[in-house]
Amino acid sequence: MAGSRLERFGTVFTRVRDLIRSGVIKPKEKPLWYDVYKTFPPKRAPLHVKPVTSPSAKKQEIVPEIFYSEDKIRTGFYEQYGRGLRALDLSKSNFVSTCQRFVDKYRELKSHGMLDKSSLFEETGKALLKEGIILRRRGAPPVLAESRDPVLDLKLIDMLAEQQSAGTDTTKTTEDKNS
Amino acid sequence: MIVNYRCFNFFFPYLGLLGFRYSRAATVASPCGGHHYVTAPSAKPPQPQAGDVTEKILNQPLEKADFFRVAELFSLKDLFDARVHLGHKKGCRHRLMEPYLYGCRLDHDIINLDQTMEHLQLALNFTAHIAYRGGIILFVSRRRQFGHLVETTAKDCGEYAHTRYWQGGLLTNANIQYGPGVRLPDLIIFLSTLNNVFQQHVGIRDAAKMNIPTVGVVDSNCNPSLVTYPVPGNDDTPAAVELYCRLFKMTINRAKDRRKQMELIHGLSAPTSQIS
Repeated sequence: MAGSRLERFGTVFTRVRDLIRSGVIKPKEKPLWYDVYKTFPPKRAPLHVKPVTSPSAKKQEIVPEIFYSEDKIRTGFYEQYGRGLRALDLSKSNFVSTCQRFVDKYRELKSHGMLDKSSLFEETGKALLKEGIILRRRGAPPVLAESRDPVLDLKLIDMLAEQQSAGTDTTKTTEDKNS
Repeated sequence: MIVNYRCFNFFFPYLGLLGFRYSRAATVASPCGGHHYVTAPSAKPPQPQAGDVTEKILNQPLEKADFFRVAELFSLKDLFDARVHLGHKKGCRHRLMEPYLYGCRLDHDIINLDQTMEHLQLALNFTAHIAYRGGIILFVSRRRQFGHLVETTAKDCGEYAHTRYWQGGLLTNANIQYGPGVRLPDLIIFLSTLNNVFQQHVGIRDAAKMNIPTVGVVDSNCNPSLVTYPVPGNDDTPAAVELYCRLFKMTINRAKDRRKQMELIHGLSAPTSQIS
């Protein structure tokens, strides 16, 4: 069967249509898809587009950046609390992350009337802690249920200084040497 | 290399009932649907009658916008849940994909699913019509992760697949590689338009050369210009590719069943039980 192998000129349809019109392809040899394409053409004719070789082509930003108003709250949250202790489970479509809960609580408090940004942040943090979600500030040690034994925090230099100043506290020195 | 292909000998010589019928249909003088049936068929052979009816069967689906109701097969939520809207990063973006993108979230391209819906509907409709007319459909994907899935999809709908290395003259040199009088595919469906080195698959250009329409899933780093019916969407996530395979399989099977139904209704093939 006759054909036209010029993929850079016109579309598949225009080439076949012109071949039929000129009589190269007989009507009974019409391809199967011809009528279907004629009735249901695509949204854009599949023309070959020449690649732009000049690097000085205008770079227009046609694709917009996607930002939401809640992103400001999210930036504040991530700056203060880091990545959050609870991991995000993306396999569930209805999953609510710690950050999202923070955002929801913030908006709720804002709608109640509080206007100051810093106070809103603190209030939201406190509200979440009340609900049971632990928030760890960036850089700070994690909040533990039981406090550390203060004896373990003592340093040798301080102890020697104390010993020199106090003079006769031998029981404490032996405990420190063992820890 | 041929040994590595699955046992679909996807080119077969142009013989077969459909071809014969098709030529008979075209030799009929009146193309107006063939309403005049002879009442005394003793002298006249029944072939022109079959030709008229075939013509009617072939043209009837073209009258309705969505004859096979392919729009029912998927919804925007299905596309979203299958992560079809996730594109590649901003640096990988192809210039010609910009009209199909919804936006860019922190350098991550998001594909516009409203457009994807329309394009997918057009593509599935076209596939259904081709399958209805008994066309050969070839599934192509060079992603090794989904090679098996694509092959099983093709097997389930009775069509063909090519998920291995594409030899240069597959379509353009078919008469020499496979013997004279080979029938080429009537539609090629690309589940991924890129090959393993992130260049456009040779099949797209070859199909355009051989005047074969293509349906292709184009991601944000692909070139959609030569694809006849592009479908902007994610081609990397398993969930998305499974969705596409399922949709294509369902449309093709639906179209083929509809064709059998129409033939039975019009009494062309010998029915086991008459369906009115």
